[in-house]
Amino acid sequence: MNPNDLLTVRNLNVSYGESKVLFDIAMDVRPGSVVACVGRNGAGKSTLLKSIAGFIKNVSGTVTCDGVSLLGVRAFDIAKMGIKYIPQDKKVFSDLTVRENLELGSYATKDYNWDQVTDYFPKLKQLMDRKAGFLSGGERQMLMVGRAILGRPKILLIDEPTEGLAPSIVAHLKDVFKEMSKKTALVIVEQNLPLVCAIAEKIYAIKEGRIITELVGERIVANICEGYL
Amino acid sequence: MIDTQLLISGVIFGLSIGSIFFLMAIGLSLCFGLMRIISLDQLLYYSVGAYITYTISVYSGNMWLGALGGLIVAGILSFAVERFIFLRIYERDIAFTMITSFGILIGGVGVIKAIWGLVPRPVPMPIMTQMSIMGTEIPVYRLIVVVIAALVYAGIWLFLNRTITGKAIRAGIENVEHVEGLGINVYRLFTITFIIAGTLSGLSGGLHAPLIMVDPQMGLEVMPFIFMVVIIGGLGSIKGTLISALIVGQVVSIGSLIYAPLAQMAPFAIMLLILLVKPTGLYGSKLLKR
Repeated sequence: MNPNDLLTVRNLNVSYGESKVLFDIAMDVRPGSVVACVGRNGAGKSTLLKSIAGFIKNVSGTVTCDGVSLLGVRAFDIAKMGIKYIPQDKKVFSDLTVRENLELGSYATKDYNWDQVTDYFPKLKQLMDRKAGFLSGGERQMLMVGRAILGRPKILLIDEPTEGLAPSIVAHLKDVFKEMSKKTALVIVEQNLPLVCAIAEKIYAIKEGRIITELVGERIVANICEGYL
Repeated sequence: MIDTQLLISGVIFGLSIGSIFFLMAIGLSLCFGLMRIISLDQLLYYSVGAYITYTISVYSGNMWLGALGGLIVAGILSFAVERFIFLRIYERDIAFTMITSFGILIGGVGVIKAIWGLVPRPVPMPIMTQMSIMGTEIPVYRLIVVVIAALVYAGIWLFLNRTITGKAIRAGIENVEHVEGLGINVYRLFTITFIIAGTLSGLSGGLHAPLIMVDPQMGLEVMPFIFMVVIIGGLGSIKGTLISALIVGQVVSIGSLIYAPLAQMAPFAIMLLILLVKPTGLYGSKLLKR
């Protein structure tokens, strides 16, 4: 265990009822780094993020952030500690406007500096009074990331951020994630290997609930990663 | 053919009974929308509101003071029930929470019987004045009930749309996990919603008391109508609850003028008809799942 690590996961085992889905997971995330998890559908990548974020209760092992254990802590307290989870469903609060969605992001964190959001996603400025239910998939993703970065989180756990998005939006998100990682560590679950390889400094390949390899440095290339999908 | 005067009085009666239904159903609807619980104990707070109104009216001679006391006691009681019972079982299956809430209701009815007895109690109408509408004499009290319900609707609308807590509740009705993911203490939202629900149920009981005889079974008697209101309106929708309550109120009132048994049967027929056309209810945007 490296004392410089921001997030440390050891021997993480997760079950849904009787069925075990994650086995002895170990991972480390340094401050300001981008870590990616790749693997096939159903490998347990999303479950891993949800377990860290406190949404899954049937968890054993060790998960610490800055030395503080996260196991047994309620999801909203984990979010308050600066570990925010961005789900893959792109479900914004559709009955609320973009402004109101951001207000909720500010409500818990007391961070009302929306410039940081609109600097990354200038388009949101024009959409403030639009009901979030009328946003496109890309705009929804921008909003979800935007409201999550309020409060300057230490870690963002991002689940399949580019799934189903247009290439131009994916390219924009890639730049945003690169820039964002200067202040916030990112743990990204993603199938888009070119994106992952362009921004990640470490990749965990997950298969059937187990981490089967850890890729760093020059091994982070798409054709090596592909072997684990 | 219904006589015009009878029809006017039936419509006003329907509006006032619809208003009572609305005040009760809004709590049930919000509780289901946000916490995914079927809070049958709201019917207990309705009865408690009526009985406290009765008791205070007897001692002070002031029904309005009684209704105020009723809503306060109902609010405090709902807060206690939420803290000591529901807070521990929110995570459980919806059937479990529903059976628990039914147990609270039945237990509460037993306590009411022990305190106030089985004999129905009358609460005097605070205003005996009648107002003439197109030649029909209408009790002013019924109109006041309608005005109070309209004010409550406006207040709830403002709370949900203009305050950050209200917006968080609306967001939670859509997806409580996402609200939690932002760092918002959803259990505090649950408590606030439960107190609002209990208080409004208490208010509806207090306002209903002068229009009926207050008796221990009153909550159980009104239960099917409240369910219909919530289902027709769409779970979690305030606007839907209001419109649905007014529809059910009118169907009960006008139906009884046409043929008395219709008052009981017609709302079910309307509910089935609406659910056939729109399974989510009038304003339910989706089938809410736990």
